Amino acid sequence: MNRKKDKGFESPRPYKLTHQVVCINNINFQRKSVIGYVELTIFPTVVNLNRIKLNSKQCRIYRVRVNDLEAPFIYNDPTLEVCHHESKQRNLNYFSSACTAAVSAVDPDAGNGELSIKVPSELWKQGDEMKVLKVYIEFSLDQPKGGLHFVVPDVEGSMAERAAHVFSFGNQNSTRFWFPCVDSYSELCTWKLEFTVDASMVAVSCGDLMETVYTHDMRKKTFHYMLPIPTAAPNISLAVGPFEILVDPYMHEVTHFCLPQLLPLLKHSMSYLHEIFEFYEEILTCRYPYSCFKTVFVDEAYVQVSSYASMSIFSTNLLHSGLIIDQTPLTRRCLAQALAQQFFGCFISRMSWSDEWVLKGISGYIYGLYLKKTFGVNEYRHWIKQELDKIVDYELKIGGVLLHPTFSGGKEKDNPTPHLHFSIRHPHTLSWEYYKMFQCKAHLVMRLIENRISMEFMLQVFNKLLSLASTASSQKYQSHMWSQMLVSTSGFLKSISNVSGKDIGPLIKQWVDQSGVVKFFGSFAFNRKRNVLELEIRQDYTSSGTQKYVGPIKVTVQELDGSFNHTLQIEENSLKHDIPCHSKSRRNKKKKIPLMNGEEVDMDLSAMDADSPLLWIRIDPDMSIMRKVEFEQADFMWQYQLRYERDVVAQEEAIHALEKFPTPASRLALTDILEQDQCFYKVRMQACFCLSKIANSMMSTWTGPPAMKSLFTRMFCCKSCPNIVKTNNFINFQSYFLQKTMPVAMALLRDVQNLCPKEVLNFILDLIKYNDNRKNKFSDNYYRAELIDALTNSLTPAISINNEVRTVDNLNADVRLILEEITRFLNMEKLLPSYRNTITVSCLRAIRMLQRNGHIPSDPSLFKLYAQYGHFVDVRIAALEAVVDYTRVDRSYGELQWLLELVQNDPVHYIRHKILSMMAKNPPFTKAADSPLCNEALVDQLWKLMNSGTSHDWRLRCDAVNLYYTLFGLTRPSCLPLPELGLVLNLKEKKAVLNPTIKSEQGPGGSEVTPTMTSTSTLEEEHVVMEPAMSGVAMAPQGLKRKAETPLGSSPEPGQVMQEEPSVKVSVKSREEEDIDMETVHDSQAFIYHHLNMLERPSTPGKEPSSVEQPMLSMPGTPMPILSKESMSSKHGDHHHHHHHHHEHKKKKKKHKHKHKHKHKHESKDKDRDSRAFSNSPASGRSIRSPSLSD
Amino acid sequence: MADPTMMGSGYLNSGNRSGGSKACTSPSENYQLARRRTLQVVVSSLLTECGFESAEKAAVETLTEMIQSYITEVGRCAKANCEHTARSTPTLSDVVITLVEMGFNVDTLPVYAKRSQRMVITAPPVTNAPLVPKALMAGQKRIHPAHIPSHFPEFPDPHTYIKTPTFREPVSDYQVVREKAASQRRDVERALTRFMAKTGETQSLFKDDISAFPLIAAQPSSIPYLSALLPSELELQSLEETDSSEQDDQTDTENNASNIIQDDPGADKENAVLPPGGGMPSGKANEENMIDNPYLRPVKKPKVRRKK
Repeated sequence: MNRKKDKGFESPRPYKLTHQVVCINNINFQRKSVIGYVELTIFPTVVNLNRIKLNSKQCRIYRVRVNDLEAPFIYNDPTLEVCHHESKQRNLNYFSSACTAAVSAVDPDAGNGELSIKVPSELWKQGDEMKVLKVYIEFSLDQPKGGLHFVVPDVEGSMAERAAHVFSFGNQNSTRFWFPCVDSYSELCTWKLEFTVDASMVAVSCGDLMETVYTHDMRKKTFHYMLPIPTAAPNISLAVGPFEILVDPYMHEVTHFCLPQLLPLLKHSMSYLHEIFEFYEEILTCRYPYSCFKTVFVDEAYVQVSSYASMSIFSTNLLHSGLIIDQTPLTRRCLAQALAQQFFGCFISRMSWSDEWVLKGISGYIYGLYLKKTFGVNEYRHWIKQELDKIVDYELKIGGVLLHPTFSGGKEKDNPTPHLHFSIRHPHTLSWEYYKMFQCKAHLVMRLIENRISMEFMLQVFNKLLSLASTASSQKYQSHMWSQMLVSTSGFLKSISNVSGKDIGPLIKQWVDQSGVVKFFGSFAFNRKRNVLELEIRQDYTSSGTQKYVGPIKVTVQELDGSFNHTLQIEENSLKHDIPCHSKSRRNKKKKIPLMNGEEVDMDLSAMDADSPLLWIRIDPDMSIMRKVEFEQADFMWQYQLRYERDVVAQEEAIHALEKFPTPASRLALTDILEQDQCFYKVRMQACFCLSKIANSMMSTWTGPPAMKSLFTRMFCCKSCPNIVKTNNFINFQSYFLQKTMPVAMALLRDVQNLCPKEVLNFILDLIKYNDNRKNKFSDNYYRAELIDALTNSLTPAISINNEVRTVDNLNADVRLILEEITRFLNMEKLLPSYRNTITVSCLRAIRMLQRNGHIPSDPSLFKLYAQYGHFVDVRIAALEAVVDYTRVDRSYGELQWLLELVQNDPVHYIRHKILSMMAKNPPFTKAADSPLCNEALVDQLWKLMNSGTSHDWRLRCDAVNLYYTLFGLTRPSCLPLPELGLVLNLKEKKAVLNPTIKSEQGPGGSEVTPTMTSTSTLEEEHVVMEPAMSGVAMAPQGLKRKAETPLGSSPEPGQVMQEEPSVKVSVKSREEEDIDMETVHDSQAFIYHHLNMLERPSTPGKEPSSVEQPMLSMPGTPMPILSKESMSSKHGDHHHHHHHHHEHKKKKKKHKHKHKHKHKHESKDKDRDSRAFSNSPASGRSIRSPSLSD
Repeated sequence: MADPTMMGSGYLNSGNRSGGSKACTSPSENYQLARRRTLQVVVSSLLTECGFESAEKAAVETLTEMIQSYITEVGRCAKANCEHTARSTPTLSDVVITLVEMGFNVDTLPVYAKRSQRMVITAPPVTNAPLVPKALMAGQKRIHPAHIPSHFPEFPDPHTYIKTPTFREPVSDYQVVREKAASQRRDVERALTRFMAKTGETQSLFKDDISAFPLIAAQPSSIPYLSALLPSELELQSLEETDSSEQDDQTDTENNASNIIQDDPGADKENAVLPPGGGMPSGKANEENMIDNPYLRPVKKPKVRRKK
């Protein structure tokens, strides 16, 4: 893995790709189909290259030729259906391992692929000379579910007039979804891309546009792109549509594209892109690596930002006009992110998945530097704190995030993250949330490295990586330099040590090779006699997601005489640290107090302890440890810290701590901060919410008007009539954000009856009434939306008498006023829609809140209408969130089904993803509690969804897994019927219980023995199926057999064994459906084979592929074993076994077809019997054994 | 005396025609109704005197109308005669002259009045004479100067011939203006949304009362992002308004796009939160023609050789 060696890294493939042509001849928007071909130029690296494995998903492949010779091929994708439909397993452990195995089986980084091409034997001899092979593949895509997304609005006109467009997307390496390739980040090659599109459309892709040529009929044109910089297939993308073109006025090689009518927005939104370019080029002292850059804004984007070589695809919803304040920084951030990834991620790629953290880390880190420069140090530190809090919360809740997983020897048992319900072995099995946290941690760790080696060295390292890569990129393939463009963990670390001469080993070990964060608890005592601060720092390193920290920690103590930094050493057993104090208490009463930044301020010291010189103490103020600190100090210390410490992080920590000290002094400190316009606006916004919490705790002793009211009046209301707000003028953004936030926070105030005070409600209603934006040069849509949010916050549960039905007549008077406003806002929005429909979003949330609090009848029908396809995406999300909430609160099966239906059928991928993740966040039920919703059908439905229903979208599959985990946990869902065994062994409680379900089951079943038999036999079968999946990479075939006898290698609780009785009835049904699917796929392939082999080349080799493929399809139990053998053999280079296997196939070759048919029949008969067996046939229980057992 | 009657008669006629169902309530109407009824009694008694036993209502009505017209005319002429001689109250001689002018033999009047078979009619019920609505008193009326006799008419209100003072300043109180603007806007919005809700499809939050809080139905659109992202006409318009108030020179209202962009540099003044955006350089449009960008190049004609 040493990237310094000339040889570069070792490719898992027996060949090296040098150049690829992608040509898409036809894009049909009406049918949503694509036809094209690819041509890969490869150099064999072994003598006898007889098999080429490529990645390809969902493409229909018409023909494959190698150097103009027809080549037979096999197309097998185990990820289509992770667990075979025969399997009745329903536990997630099993699924996870099967999924990992399936993904491994086609993982290009292990040399695998879905498409296996047999090199024609005529070319074998050439192998000695290592001649170039050209692999030519014709393919088509019909209604692709992944990889390419078609947006075709349903309006009149031509496709261009309808703003129809198509673009590529995917989670990580997903290019195989739209053309056959080596879908690995480590296989670089140069590209020639050709796209023929309608003359009214533009095709934007990677590299330089060489020329655009009309077709002969002049109705279409072909865009010719060349990408001379070696690039990995996952970094190739395409966007086609009737885009409006804007050449960047500052940088003519940068071109922006947007959908029709949005050009003014594009102009405005892109007007500062050049500054980001300048910034990155300056800090990296390196020019942007590609000769051009393109930004494309598309509708229904998969993610907000996705970066590809020399182009980025953005969501069109990032565009905004000059009227909009709130979206501006967000869009700028997205642009900066995209550009950072151009350098690290697109230009510099990674060697393997475990090196991903370096790329994400560097791009995230330089993005952070951009934030610091553009938005200021306060914003930057606030962001760092936010990110740190996020990752800490996630790790403590879910478990550690491991940046650099090592899979030593490929042993599955050494799962580095046993706490997770998914495998982190592949990017495609990662939960989306986890991946986000992974990125977050990666850039934070980069910052830690910077802390250690200084920013200067850091940037030098980046520069070195980039300049090496750009030297390599201009070389020919033959120079073997291209691997310099790949970054690896070890290479990166070596660069660091070369450049800085510092050893960052411990740091890497702690944060990169190990997961978990540190949890500190701090407290202190001041020893007056010794004038020493006795600090105690304890750690919790036993809870999940934590780790033990040993090493230096910085503590800053603000004393009367100044601020002092101390570096303490955290060691194994030392908890207490003595820190000598510099100042005697209260010596100089009149003197100004020097702060850390050199500033000297007057303080009112009357609040502090007369004996102690300590004003406040901070642990790890620079956030140089991935930690959570819970520090105890007196309330006045927090107050001093809030008022006088200049670091925004310290201020935010103080605000957070003050929530626990509801005293007039805290109130005063917060109010002072609120009023201080020198203070960072986000701190002030947080102070608002803290103040409302404190006010609620102080309810009985609170004096004066409701918190913040007089403040707001002073700041934003007219001098002459304090009850009327000034006409809007958002020229000062800090005030604007404060003005937006204060009412929202005020609405959280409660009186003794736990109601929002009438005074506050009226105040907010007046703000709405007198809101006047006519003289403002900015839109007030976000402000109005937050005022609605404020109304929502003011709601409290209705007092209901005997669960009466909510009617208009018994509506609470205040609620009536609120509802009046919401109705008006929502209706006005129909006539004058606001930017991003923010107001509709807030109104929908408000309506749901009214429903949830019992003020109006709970009813999802309104939300369902707003959730329809055709509303703006934010509105849909808000509506869906309400439906998800309704499903949980009202335990509605109908709505749950409706949501799941949408997950399967909605045209927008982002919506599908959001539904599942919202359901996982706000689940209709959890494994902890019983729910009427939890039933067999649902288990099967979700299982099917993650097993086969989401095979086109990795992210969605992982979302489904997440939801399944949330609902049912890792083990077998409790709602499935218990096995009809007489005894249930509960190993935890160490007792055996008579199965309570037996009696009820016996009646309708009509047979006492059969079910038991069925269950045992299926059990056995399952183990056979399951085992190989587990051992997929690790186990030798001998081990497989041995393991098959020991039950349940994968499910950890032996207690589970007893509960393996699956829901036969339902699964049979679904199984039959799946069967049909499988057969249609199979048939279409057979059709192709037929065409290719029978018609064009009626001679022999055509049968070979089918002989391998068909047993896979036919035998329910076998795909995993085959797959595991293959993956294993390639991994270990166990050629002997491989050949053996191959040989076997050759032998059986001719008979297989027959056998297949026979088996298929057999299977279906089994199935029939199987379904009957449940009701009456006692004999069938034994005969259900799947063919795999006999194998 | 004559004027109110005249006006009253016209009014009454229309009032009667439009149907008696309407109960007359105002005092002036009561007064006039009473008079009219008396006239009808008079006509009826005269008819009885002449030997009629019954009469159609229409005939009585016509006769009443005639008699009323006659009396009215007498009154009008008498007033005209009196005013002709620079007096304000008619005297007996004015009436006599009038009657003479109308061709009535005055000498026969005393005999007719004293005829034996005449019927005595009860006086009309005492109803309060309608209050003549006071003319709007505006300001202090001037008193006559010494050289004008006191019997001359009073001066009219000063506002009619000197100046018209406004009692209240035009409402310029900030609070009231804001209040008014707010409620006006709210009323307009409410009316508009109610109208839209009434004329189109609606959704309701309550099942029992669909008309309460009607929500305009959510209609999916084919290209939802357009309306969500593009600023509305109103926003652009108000933007223009603020612009024009700030910089009077700007009159170009056609080109919205350029307006947005022109607004940019303004956004940069307050960089505390957002970094400078940098407006579009003005001269760029001209340069664009010279930019060599592959996407701007003309599309080539296909080559002659056929592609495979």
